[in-house]
Amino acid sequence: MRIFHWTLVLLISIAAISGFLLRPTWINLHVLAGSLVALLLIARIVWGVLGSENARFTSFVKGPTEVFKHIREIRSKTAARHLGHNPLGALMIIALLGTIFWLTLTGVSTLGGIFKTGPFGFATSFQFGSLSFSIHSVLAYFLLFLIVMHLAGAAYESWRTRENLVKSIINGKKESREGDHHATERRPRPILSSFLIAGLVGALIWAAIWLTAKPPFGVPVATPNPVYQEECSACHIAYPPSLLPAHNWGNLMAGLSDHFGEDASLSQATVDEITTWLFQNASDSVDTKPAHVFSRVNPESPFAITQTPFWKNTHRAIPDAVFTRPPIYDNGNCVACHSDAESGAFYPANISIPKETTQ
Amino acid sequence: MKSKLVFALSAASVLFAAAVVANPARDAIVAGFAAEAGVSTFSADAGRTMFLGQFTGGKEATPSCTTCHTNNPTAAGRTRVGKPILPMAVSANPERFTDPEKVAKWFRRNCTSVLGRECTAEEKGNFLAFMISQ
Repeated sequence: MRIFHWTLVLLISIAAISGFLLRPTWINLHVLAGSLVALLLIARIVWGVLGSENARFTSFVKGPTEVFKHIREIRSKTAARHLGHNPLGALMIIALLGTIFWLTLTGVSTLGGIFKTGPFGFATSFQFGSLSFSIHSVLAYFLLFLIVMHLAGAAYESWRTRENLVKSIINGKKESREGDHHATERRPRPILSSFLIAGLVGALIWAAIWLTAKPPFGVPVATPNPVYQEECSACHIAYPPSLLPAHNWGNLMAGLSDHFGEDASLSQATVDEITTWLFQNASDSVDTKPAHVFSRVNPESPFAITQTPFWKNTHRAIPDAVFTRPPIYDNGNCVACHSDAESGAFYPANISIPKETTQ
Repeated sequence: MKSKLVFALSAASVLFAAAVVANPARDAIVAGFAAEAGVSTFSADAGRTMFLGQFTGGKEATPSCTTCHTNNPTAAGRTRVGKPILPMAVSANPERFTDPEKVAKWFRRNCTSVLGRECTAEEKGNFLAFMISQ
């Protein structure tokens, strides 16, 4: 129980720091911490059914009658001490575990819907991923609130019963006193629990790996086009076709004689071949985050990814000088920092701003 | 004796350079420009002047060849969005000017970008002569 508590504290801290404070490039650490939390949750639930008396949900979770009775007793200063959680504390445990459960679930569907990876990547739309992320964010703040209340409750109960509960969650001991509320002790089942936990954890990991390996939802695999590669990546990176809607690609291909300030004209046959391929793989039929966010183009510059509101917003903290220094040279050189840019994925963990090099 | 050795070495190096530079496909491209322009030889100096020149007729972002290709034809250049360009000089990049379609495409695009017009056959021939001499 104490190991569970402190491991959870550590993992939630890592998840909170990487989620609230660190840059999105830390997403893998956040996902790792969250995944371990999910496994820890399984262990806690099994132990809550088969574990030692004070750990069992049926031992400390009480109905509303008991909860209100406990509140009245606290007010009249007649409330008994509990060797496990008191009825109010029990509510907190359920709230914490429930919130953490939904945090892990919405986290996995955020990962699946927005980043098209993880166990739900094969079946989650970007829209559902965005909804999940909103819920995930609200729950994250709610969990912070619960943690504060949990600490306040533990402090209050320590003061009320004149006992250091923080010491108890460290050494696992509580004084025996007269008038303590004793539950009938049920026998813990550590061996059965261990097998059950190992089985469930193993099954979950296996299912997660199996599901993660499935092809992601809404991410068609574009067959590379050698003509596009040859012609369009002569001067710049081979921008993935999923970054712009077909309509914009069409206009761009029609205006190659003045392409971002240069004549990039091609023979009509080549233009036609490339346009057809771009249309087939344009963002209209792709459900990735880049396909969605970059499709909202800047009307004044309808082909420039770097002029989109999303691009400007997400790159605002990076000084202009960083983009012009070698080996980046220009903000259109996505691949200099996003190693997976040409695949169209733009996963946050794949961002690394290179150090300045000499020409 | 010593002067004979120097002569032999310089003759050998000239032959070696010629061997590196000579390429039937490239020669055919140059001959094509010569026929079109109605001249028998091209001026590498005129080519150099065009390569290093500053122009105002083209697009704002590209006032000269050297904007992307740098002042040194044997060095790699860089496009405006950071992609490296292989050297223009034949000595540094023997593949240069051996594909007539590529030569036509890039002269067409880059002359309009830099000069604001297509280049004449004589200008193209002079440009190639300069790059072959480098």
